[in-house]
Order: sequence, then C-alpha cells, then structure tokens
Amino acid sequence: MIELKEISYVRFGTPDLQMAESFATSCLGLEVGDRSKKSLYLRSDDRAHTLCYTEGNPEEQAVGFEVDSEEDLEAAAATLEALGHPVHNGTPAECAARMVKAFIGFKDPTGNSIELVVRPARSGRKFFPTRDIGITGFSHIGLYTTNPVRDEKFWTQVCNARVSDRIGDISLMRITAIHHTLAMAPGTKPRIQHVNHQVASNDDVLRSFYFLSGRNVPIVFGPGRHPTSGARFLYFTGPDGMTFEYSVGVDEIEDEETHSPRSFGFEPSSICMWGSKRVGQGIPVPAAKQ
Amino acid sequence: MTNVPIVQVCYLRLGSRKVEESARFATDVLGLQRVGAIDGDVALRSDHLHHRICLTEGPPEQQSIGLELPDEAHIEPARAALLAAGFPVRDADANECRRRYVRQALITQDGSGNVIELVTRPAHSGRRYFPSRDAGITGLQGVGLRSTDLAKDLLFWTKLLDARISDRVGEITYLRIDDRHHRIALYPSSCKGIMEIALDVESFDCIMQSNYFLKERQLKILHGPGREAASDQVFIRFQGPEDCLFSYVFGMREPKAGERPRQFLLKPESLCAWGSECTDIPELSFPAT
Repeated sequence: MIELKEISYVRFGTPDLQMAESFATSCLGLEVGDRSKKSLYLRSDDRAHTLCYTEGNPEEQAVGFEVDSEEDLEAAAATLEALGHPVHNGTPAECAARMVKAFIGFKDPTGNSIELVVRPARSGRKFFPTRDIGITGFSHIGLYTTNPVRDEKFWTQVCNARVSDRIGDISLMRITAIHHTLAMAPGTKPRIQHVNHQVASNDDVLRSFYFLSGRNVPIVFGPGRHPTSGARFLYFTGPDGMTFEYSVGVDEIEDEETHSPRSFGFEPSSICMWGSKRVGQGIPVPAAKQ
Repeated sequence: MTNVPIVQVCYLRLGSRKVEESARFATDVLGLQRVGAIDGDVALRSDHLHHRICLTEGPPEQQSIGLELPDEAHIEPARAALLAAGFPVRDADANECRRRYVRQALITQDGSGNVIELVTRPAHSGRRYFPSRDAGITGLQGVGLRSTDLAKDLLFWTKLLDARISDRVGEITYLRIDDRHHRIALYPSSCKGIMEIALDVESFDCIMQSNYFLKERQLKILHGPGREAASDQVFIRFQGPEDCLFSYVFGMREPKAGERPRQFLLKPESLCAWGSECTDIPELSFPAT
C-alpha cells in the first residue's frame, strides 16, 4: 500500500503569471517564497512552497503528496506500474523545480496528475502573509472523478486514504487524523476542484468575506459551515476559474480504529448547515429544493 | 448617596399600530414565544421571565424600557434621587403594574425623554421557554437607545442609576450594569427612542443560520454579520416592523475588574471588526474616511 503522509503542494499552469501573482498576494494572502523565469512559488506555512504557478496551460495541474522515503517511492512506482499506471521518474531539474529530493508522477484512474514526493523543502524563514488573513496552511484539495466508486477504491486500497464521510457520491477522505485531505466529487474530466487553506479563526473567515467582497472577488459559496467536518468555510474564485477555500475548525478523527463513515444525502443542508447557497459553478452542490 | 442599583433590563414595551402584524413578525421571524397578556397587549417570551417584549396598541413612538430594582426598599430612594435631579417621576397605577406583570413601578424618563420604568418583582414563568422557531434565542441581551442629550443621559444612567461606562466609539457610549460589557448603549441622535433590541442566541452558528434565514425571506439586513470591536459580540442587525431594529447577538465579553473605558474612533471598523458596514441607520453610519 502506498503510504501518503501529507499533501505537499498543488501546481497550476497559467497563461497570465502576473495576474496569478497579483491574486495570490493581494487577495489570497500568500507570500511569494521564490520565483524563476516561468514559475512562481507561494508559501502558506513553514514549507518552502505549497502552491506553484507555471506559465502554461491552466489544464496542466498536479497535486503532490509526500511519502516517507526513496524506498517507499520505488515501491510505490512498482505498485503503480503493476496496476497499469505509467510512472514518470522526476529528473533532477524537475525535482529542483518542485523543491523536493525525488518524485514520481502518474495519473489517478480519472486522469488527474498526481506526484509522490520525498523530502519536500521547508523554509527556515517564518511565513509572513501579505495581508492579515490568518492563514495557517495549505490543507486539502477537491478532485473531480469520472467514477467515484473506482476512484475511492484506488485512493483507499492502493493508497492509504480512509473515507471519513460521504455526501451522496462525494467522498471525503483522510490520510492523517484531519477529517479530509482529499474531497472527491463526481465530474466529467480530470481537474482540481478546489484548493483549501486553513485559517486560524471564525473571525478570519468573516473578515475575508468582507475583504474579498469589497474587491469584487466572486464569492461562490458561504460563509457557511460543513456539517460533515464542522468547518466554517468560504469559497471564492481565483485565476483561471479555480475555486479557493478558506476554512477553520476541521474536525479530527480521533477514533481511527472505530470510525465509520457517515452518509449525508446529496442536498444543500448536507453541505452547509447555516443555509448558504452556492452561486454559479465551482462547488457541486445540489440545487435548492423548490 | 448611593446610585440606584439595576438588576437587569427586564422588558421592553413597544407601541404598534399593527399589533397582530408585529406579533407575527415576533414569532415567525424572531422566533419568540407568544404568551397571553391583558388589555389587548401581546407579550413575547425569550427566556424564563413571563415576557421580555410587550406589544401595545399605540403609536410606535410610545416605548418604554423596564429595569428591575433589587427590591421594594429601593423605590423611595430612587424616587428621591430622580426628583432631586429634576427628572419626572410617577407611580404606575395598579392596572399599569398588572399589564407589566410587576409588583410596583416608578415611571421616569432619561435625559432624552426615553421612558424608563423602575420595577420590582417582575413575573417569572413556571413553564420553560419554547421558541416559535429554532433561532436559538436564550434571552434579552440589551437595548440600544437614541440620545438627544448625552450629558443629561449620562447623568441619569451613571450618576443616578448605577450603570458604568464600558467603552466609547466616538460619542456612542456602552453602559454596563452587570458582568457583561454592556446592556445599554447610547447612540447620539436627533431623536429619542429605542434604536435596537438585542436578543441573545446560543451560538455563532445561530447568527449565521439566521443570516441566511432572513436573506431567504428577503428581510432587510442592516448591519452584519459582524463582530463589535469593543464588546467582542457577534451580531446581525435587521429591520423589524414599524422601523424597529432587532439584532441577534452572541459572545459578548465580560470586562476584567479595573478595566478603564476605552475610546474608539468613530469609524465603521470600530463597530465591526470584520468589515461589515451599515448605511441605513444614521446612528451607525459615518462618512467614508
């Protein structure tokens, strides 16, 4: 089994690096950790980077998960090859571009680009956000799946993810004690559905709501509260149509041995217990009942 | 001479030209429990007391605020102090006391002319409070009053009664009578009257749930959801019938012993630390800086 230890980063292609930087620093509140000619590295915690924009096609997206060692990486590669997933071994230049010691790339059964990395770099310098946003770190992603049953099997049987809860066909999976690191939602093609950063308090969520509203950033959902994880959330749209989320207060699963996933119906109150409604596209929420 | 002690803000009496309509709002939107009352009044509960809000037939300007005194022994000293300072005082007659569900009441006015009733032994209910909707109301937090004469009002509240100043935003003055940061807030204004009736709810979730509940019903949210900088309480202020402003509040802090009143700038961020702004209530709106 492939032991995923932590989610490390997301990588996005973008046709407009300058716009991405402007949004990431003035709205999202991330700190520029480093930049190269065609890439921008953004920090959200004590890691050297957790979000990377590279000049290119916004369809090119990848998410990185950390594994323990290079031996584990080799074993994972073998497992994946045996299952018929072509594996790409990261070249030294590619490793340097990701600030990791080693990595392999492959596609999950839907076709999402996944990277397994060893020794992602931390930074000795304290993370200093570009605005008073209260970000405590990059925490999880939503990923589209073209076959929820097949993909849940992949993540929980080939990898070590465990299902914490389900909302209809949406599967919330954890790789640590945190309620979910991966939210898998039905879709028609591979794509990252949203990128979550944790903030320190309710106040941060609401402050950002007014801050972003004041800058005409489209708020697509919230402020709200997920009944599954207990998190207070705010979803909004960033560069290239990507949905970003701030949330606070995600439950931890303390009874790892005995926890059994709960099922919530695919209805608005399963996604927000406060009654907020999604606006436009971005988060797959059922339409409000008439 | 000691100041007149106040146990609590006991009730609010609100004149209404459409008592039934206001009562429907109080139950269907606010979530209060309607209980029987006499002489055509509509009494509304929010907690263990017989009622906290009483709607009476009359003009909306006809409002009064009931404050509880510890006991009857405080009636005469209160009367003497108020009369000595030149405030009008009269005894409520037997029927007025009956309608207020209290044993005794002195009816007076603050410096702006807001009617204040000093009452003893307000009725409690033996039945537990059962709300009309799941708004999570746990009681009456307090009241915001419009002040046309702040100096005279402060004399009334802090020199005759024993309210103390907690903090100020510009000249807006928060007054405390118990452990909470404030129960009464004075808002400088061009007219007298109750500006806000604040109902306590049990959690932050309740505030946000009501936010969407009110929006879905296209009721006018006037301020918030927000967090008051001075008191830390989370609030949502919304429009009630006949220009009455209600709010749900949660999480007001309790100042530490020895805390001195702080002065905040008269700016939106002093009223909401999150960044919500109010444009429809003159007392809460300031020119952009």
